[in-house]
Amino acid sequence: MRRRWVILIMVLLFILEGSLMPWLIPANWAGRLVPQFTFVFVLYASLYAGRHAALMLGVSFGMLQDLVFYGHLIGVHAFAMGLCGYVVGLLLSFKRIPMLTVLSLIGMACLLYDSIIYGMYRVFRVTHDTYVLALMQHILPSLFLQLAFALAFYVPARRWFSDFGQKKPLDDAV
Amino acid sequence: MMRNKRLFVLLIGLILFIAVMGFSLSDRKDLTWPEKFLNDTVGYVQQWFYKPAGYVAGLFEDIRTMRELYEENARLRTTVASYARDKSKYNRIEQENARLQAKLNFTEEQKNRNNYTYMIAQVVSVSPDAYNRTFKINLGSRHGLKENMAVVTEEGLIGMISSVSPFTANVMPITELDGQSVNPKFISATVEGKEEDSFGIIESYNIENGQLLMSKIAEEDPLTDGDVVITSGLGDVFPVGIVVGTVTSHQVGDFGLTRTAFIDPAAEFDKLSEVLVVKVPEAAGDAE
Repeated sequence: MRRRWVILIMVLLFILEGSLMPWLIPANWAGRLVPQFTFVFVLYASLYAGRHAALMLGVSFGMLQDLVFYGHLIGVHAFAMGLCGYVVGLLLSFKRIPMLTVLSLIGMACLLYDSIIYGMYRVFRVTHDTYVLALMQHILPSLFLQLAFALAFYVPARRWFSDFGQKKPLDDAV
Repeated sequence: MMRNKRLFVLLIGLILFIAVMGFSLSDRKDLTWPEKFLNDTVGYVQQWFYKPAGYVAGLFEDIRTMRELYEENARLRTTVASYARDKSKYNRIEQENARLQAKLNFTEEQKNRNNYTYMIAQVVSVSPDAYNRTFKINLGSRHGLKENMAVVTEEGLIGMISSVSPFTANVMPITELDGQSVNPKFISATVEGKEEDSFGIIESYNIENGQLLMSKIAEEDPLTDGDVVITSGLGDVFPVGIVVGTVTSHQVGDFGLTRTAFIDPAAEFDKLSEVLVVKVPEAAGDAE
């Protein structure tokens, strides 16, 4: 039951990312502050519900974004989200870690995620910007947006996803 | 053994992803039905959020710009006066044009060539990705939309339609133009008032200074700074005479044979709520 609600919340976040956030971001920051709230939730999943749940959520929500906003490439976000979720989960899932560590980990994962996306767009020649420009242009500003969101949802996300993870063995038993 | 299996799955996944990406990068004509279904469903839900949020944001914007209203009103008054003057002149010229066309035995198709239909579309959502500023509109192939149709606002050209589902379509803003990409798109352009003598191709956008790059301008071209660049409509899908922006500077191009110009886009690309899709009357040859 819990699991269904968490997925619904993530779908809602994905919808809001594309429809509400463009109005909240000031005009001269458009394209520089990029909301990636579903990705933050994928990271919470990898910390509290295990890497496999994070991989599945990351690939599916990334693919959703790729298909809905199909412009240049399909699969970039699915790949990057799945990989980041899995790697973070591989490093430290189910460990009792303090909040500051969680936040800095999410920050680093966001950097990794944006760098992977930049790298893939660069490889497929969608962009020709240098990495430094990309970093200053949108990666660092968006990082702070993601961190603020992660901070705001730290307590509820932890609760939701620890249920999400515990549900799994129960499901398997049934 | 377990480790090997995991590595194997990982590599297969990687190859699969690269294959999908490579496939999606190619010049696709049509979306598959799962993509269309997903686009329409998500687009339907997104519009419940985008429009109300736009209203609320617009309300605050209105309060903030209240003081500018008086000046804007005065400016609009002079514009209306000159519009009325131009309108009578336009009517006379249009009648004369119709008379001449009849005299020269223009076919119906030739006469209707510049009768564009403008379809109002609501923006439904904007992509949260710095390298893909695609946005969705709530018109689709059921309303007669096709790929590469021009999308404009009152101020000027915004973008072109990149993919179509039955009830929604994705629009690629002209800020995504890139002449060096794998399947680049170009817009042929000319200068307002010098349509016969001027020609260039708008091919890319510079994110650092927010300007469009127009290249392949001939050496003897009369284009200068401050000129208003419009679409030339050479090529079938794009309409004639849509404002793109103003020339801020120009210089000799890469090989010294042609010139390039830098253009400030006329339209705002942020916080769009309504856009217009320009439908060019179909040529008899490719009518379905």
